[in-house]
Amino acid sequence: MKLSAGTPDAMPPGLRSLLYGIFCWANRHPGALRAVGAVLRHWPFVGGWLGMAARADAVKKVLTRPNSFSNTAHAANLSAGDYLIGMDPDATYKGDRLLLDDRLAVLDATLPAAADLAARDYVEKLRLIGKRKSFDLIEDYLMWIVFRAMHPLFGEATNKVAAGATGSLDDPGLQRQYLLEIRYVAGQLLAGSSATLRVQRRAELNADALRSRIAGVGNDIQLAWGTSCPFNVIKRNAVGLAWISHPVTVQSGALAVQELLGRPDVHKALREQAQRLLKMGPNQVWEDQAFRKLVQDHVLELLRFRPIFPLLARDVPRDTEFETGARHNAKCPAGGKMAIWGIAAMFDTAIDKDISQFSPARNWGTNEDLRWLMFGYGTRQCPAMVYAVKILTSALIGLLILPELQLTRGEGKPVTYDGPLMSRMRVSFI
Amino acid sequence: MLKIVRQQMICIAVPGWNGTTDLSEDSPVSKGLYSLFRDVEVVQFASIALLPARADAVDKRPWLMLELAIEEGIDPYDMIYRLVYHWSEAMWSLYSSFWPSDATALRSERNDKLHKMLMKHLSIADGGFIGARDRTARQIEKEQELLEWTRDEARAMKQAMLYGDDRAAFALALAQRAFQNRRFGWALDPAPRSYWRGKGASISAKAGYVLTLFVLWLLAVWLVGAVPRGALGIYTWLFGPPYSGVTDVVAFISMASCWVLGVSIRIVLALLGLGVLVWLLLIALPALSRTWRRWLESVGRELDRPTETWSSWLTYRIGLLLSVPIAFALVALAFAFIFSPWTIVDAYKAWTANLFGWQIIALVVLAIVVLICAVGLLSRINQDLAMVGNWFFQPYEEDVLRAQQVDPSIDNSEGLVVRETAHMVSLTDLRSPNGWSAWWIRVSLRIVTLFGRVIFTESRLGSAPGIHFGHWHIIEDGRRYLFCSNYDGSFGGYLDDFINGATIGTNLAWRWTTLKPRGSAAIGQPAVVHARSFPPTRFIVFRGVKCELQFKSYARDSMLPHMFRFDARKESVDQINLATGLRDALFGARNDSNDDLIMRAIES
Repeated sequence: MKLSAGTPDAMPPGLRSLLYGIFCWANRHPGALRAVGAVLRHWPFVGGWLGMAARADAVKKVLTRPNSFSNTAHAANLSAGDYLIGMDPDATYKGDRLLLDDRLAVLDATLPAAADLAARDYVEKLRLIGKRKSFDLIEDYLMWIVFRAMHPLFGEATNKVAAGATGSLDDPGLQRQYLLEIRYVAGQLLAGSSATLRVQRRAELNADALRSRIAGVGNDIQLAWGTSCPFNVIKRNAVGLAWISHPVTVQSGALAVQELLGRPDVHKALREQAQRLLKMGPNQVWEDQAFRKLVQDHVLELLRFRPIFPLLARDVPRDTEFETGARHNAKCPAGGKMAIWGIAAMFDTAIDKDISQFSPARNWGTNEDLRWLMFGYGTRQCPAMVYAVKILTSALIGLLILPELQLTRGEGKPVTYDGPLMSRMRVSFI
Repeated sequence: MLKIVRQQMICIAVPGWNGTTDLSEDSPVSKGLYSLFRDVEVVQFASIALLPARADAVDKRPWLMLELAIEEGIDPYDMIYRLVYHWSEAMWSLYSSFWPSDATALRSERNDKLHKMLMKHLSIADGGFIGARDRTARQIEKEQELLEWTRDEARAMKQAMLYGDDRAAFALALAQRAFQNRRFGWALDPAPRSYWRGKGASISAKAGYVLTLFVLWLLAVWLVGAVPRGALGIYTWLFGPPYSGVTDVVAFISMASCWVLGVSIRIVLALLGLGVLVWLLLIALPALSRTWRRWLESVGRELDRPTETWSSWLTYRIGLLLSVPIAFALVALAFAFIFSPWTIVDAYKAWTANLFGWQIIALVVLAIVVLICAVGLLSRINQDLAMVGNWFFQPYEEDVLRAQQVDPSIDNSEGLVVRETAHMVSLTDLRSPNGWSAWWIRVSLRIVTLFGRVIFTESRLGSAPGIHFGHWHIIEDGRRYLFCSNYDGSFGGYLDDFINGATIGTNLAWRWTTLKPRGSAAIGQPAVVHARSFPPTRFIVFRGVKCELQFKSYARDSMLPHMFRFDARKESVDQINLATGLRDALFGARNDSNDDLIMRAIES
C-alpha cells in the first residue's frame, strides 16, 4: 500500500537524470528505438536475457497473458491514484471497466460530428492568423478540439470539471489550467519510474489538484453520469478518465503531425486530395467517407512510426516464461519486470516484408489486429482507441484544408519537450 | 545535488506592502492560508513576516515575506503554481492589496498575474539544513499514530503482565499485533531513505561515489583525445594520411586531452597529500604525542576565546605570521606540482646533485632529530611556566557592552509557539563591499549545505540537534541577509547548539553580516536603533559565535516576529526519528537491535 507520494530519491545523485535523459532521448527518436528493436527481433535470445519481447508474435503472446504479465507495473506511475490501466483484472477492475465502457459509448453518438465541428471552428480561427505568424499546434488547436470532442464524457458536468467547483464557467483560463493539470498527471505515466523527482512531484501536485477538483464537483458528475455507484468509485473513475483520455489523445495527435511534417511527400499528396474535395464544396471534405478512411489510415500509420507508448512495462507476479521467438523460452522470475517493445513488433518483417515502408494503404490481412498495436493488445487494449483515432482524423482533416503547415524556423526550436512529452509545437503557414 | 535541498526552503519577499490586509490569527486570510497548506499537504512549515525597508531605501514601506519549507523534489515554480491556482484563492486574498483595482478581473487572469509576481520575488535558499529529512508531513502523521498505538498496546500488555521481564518476547508480541493490524499496512514498506541516508550512508559509499565521478571524468577526457586519434588512425589505414591541417587538429586535441588528464590526476594527488598532512597534524600526531595534543587544544582554545587576552592576541598574530607564508608556500608547491611537476623534480635533482645517498639520509635524520628536540623544548617550557601562563591567559577586555534587550513583539511571537516547534526570522545587512561578502557567504553556505546533505544525515548539523528547517537567503541584490529557522526548544538553547555544536558553520554563515539601523516594519515591531556588528572572528572560523552574549544579543536584535505560522509536523525532530525508527523496527527483521528500539520507544 502506498502511504503517500513524495518518496526521496534512493539513486546516487546524477544517475537518475542520466537514465531519464537517455529514456527521453530514445522516446523522441523512435528511429533509434526501431534500430534497437530490429536487433532484438533478429536475436530474440538477447531480449530473453533482458526480459524484453520484441517480435510481433512474442508481444502478442505476452499481452494476452494479463495474469502472468500484470498491468500493475503502471500503478507506481498513476499519481492520481488507482485506475484501470494499473489494475489487475479483479472485481474492481471489472466494475470500473463497465462504468468506463458506458461512458465511452456516449461518444458513439457524437463522434465524429462533434470533433468535426470543433475542428471546423478552430480552422476558421487559425485561418485568421495568416502566413509567417506562428502558433502552437498543441495549445492553440489540438488541445481544444480534443476537449470539445470529449465533452460528452462528463456530460453536463464537463464545464464544471474544467472550471472547478467555485470557478466561473466563462473563464477560458481556468479551462486551460485544467488541461495543463491533467497533462502533467498523464506525463508521469509516460515518463515512468525513471522520471526525475521534479517530474514526479509535479505530477503528484497536479494529481492532488485534480482529485480535489473532482471531489468538488462529484455530485455534478454523479448526476451527469446518472449512476448510483458509490462516490469513491465515481471519484476514482472520473479522476482517471480525466487525466488519461485528453492528454494522451492530444499527445498522439502532436506525434502524428510531427511525423507527417517529416514526410513532405505524404503530406503533399494528402493535402492535394483535401484541397480537391474542398473545391467541390465546403462540406465535401468532411463528408467524403473514402477520404475520411484514407486520413484515418494515415493517422494509424503515422502513429505506428511515432507511437505514444513505444515501450510498455509489465510486472511479473510469479515465476513464468515467455516465448521470445528463440529456441528456448525466456525465464521471468517472480517479482521482476519485463519490457514490451511495441515499436519493434509493429515493424516485424514477419507481418509484411515491406513493413518498414510508410504505407497507409497496406493490406494487413490476418494481422489487421496488429495495426492497432500502438494502443496495446488483447483484453487490456485501450478501450477508447477508436474514439481517439476518430478525433485525430477530424483534427488532421482540419489541418489539411488550412494553408500548408511547416515547423516554425527562427524562433528557437519549434518542438519543445517536457521529458518524453511534447509540450509545444510551433508551426506556421507557408 | 545541493539545489534539491535549497529549493525545499523558499522565501518570497515582495516590497511595497501597504498593510491593509488583516493577518491576525483569526482573520479570514490566516484561516484561508492555514486551510490551503493543510489541503496541499506538501508544505511542512510556512510563516509570514514583515521585513522593514532599509534606512536608505526610497520606498519605506515594508516587504511582505512568505517563508515555505516544502517536501523534497518539488520545484518552487510548481509549488507556487499549486498554491496560487488552488480553488480557495487563499493566496490571492493575501496578496490582493497589491492590485486594489483588480477585484473583478477573471480568476485565471488574477492567478497568472500573482504567479508571475511571486516568481519574480522568489528566493530559493542560498544554503540550508533539514533535520528530519526524507519524510512527508503525511508520513510523520501516520508514524506518530503508530507510535501512540504501540504505546497504548504496550501499556495494556504490561497491565496484563503477559510477558514478565522477557523484553524480546514482549517486543515480538507487539510486532505481531502491529503486523496484524490492517490500519498499519502502509508500514510494511520500510521508511524511505534518500541515497545519502540509505545506500550511500557509509563512508566507503561516499568515497566510492567521488571516485566513480573522478574515473568517469578521466574516461571522458581520455575519450576526447582517443576517439579522434582512433578515427584518424582508421582513416589513415583505409585511405592514407589526410590533410595536414586535420592531423594538426587531432594532434592538438590529443595533446590537450593528455594535459587535462595529467592535471586532473595531479590535482587529486595534491588534495590527497594535503589530506594526509591535515590528518597527520590534527589526528595522528595528537594521538601519539600528549604535548602536541595539548598544544593544539591550547591554540584552538585561544583562537576561539571570546575575550581578548595576551595569549589569544599573541596566538592569533603569531598564527597569522606563520600560517600565511606556510599557506602560500603550500599553495605554490601544489600549483607547481599540478601544472609543472618537472620544476620540482629538477629542483630536487639540482639540490642533491653534489650529495651522495648517505648524505641525503643523514640530512633527513638530522631534520627529524631537530624537530623532536624543538617539540620537546616547547613542551618543557609549556609545563614550567604555569605562573606566567596564568597571567598570560587573563582577559583584559569586556565583550558585552550593554545588557540584552528583547523586543516585546519577539517575546510575544515566541510565546505563541511555546510548546510547539520554535521559529526564528533574522534579517541582517551584508558588510561592504556587498558583492564580496555575498560571494563568500554563498561559498560558505554551499559548503554547509553540502556537509548537511552528505555527511550530517541523521538530523544533526555538526552536533547541533533539533533543527527542522534552517535556511539562509541573500536578498535585495546582495544587500541583505535573511535567516529563517524552525527548531525545537528555546531560542537560547538553540543558539547554544549553534555555538557549541556548529561553530564553524555558523561563523561561516554569519561573519560577513552587520546590522544597520532601520525603522520598524509596522507599529509594535522591532527597529534597530544602533548599528551592531557580528562578533569578530579569528581566521574566519574561530571565535565569532563563541562570544556568546554578544552573538545572542546580535541575533536577538536582528530578529523579526512572525505574523502567521503553519506547522504540519507538530513534533520534535527526536520524536519524528523515534516514530520512524519504531516503524522500521516493528515491521523489520527480529533482532536485538530492533527489540531494543521498540522497548525504548514505548518506554520514552
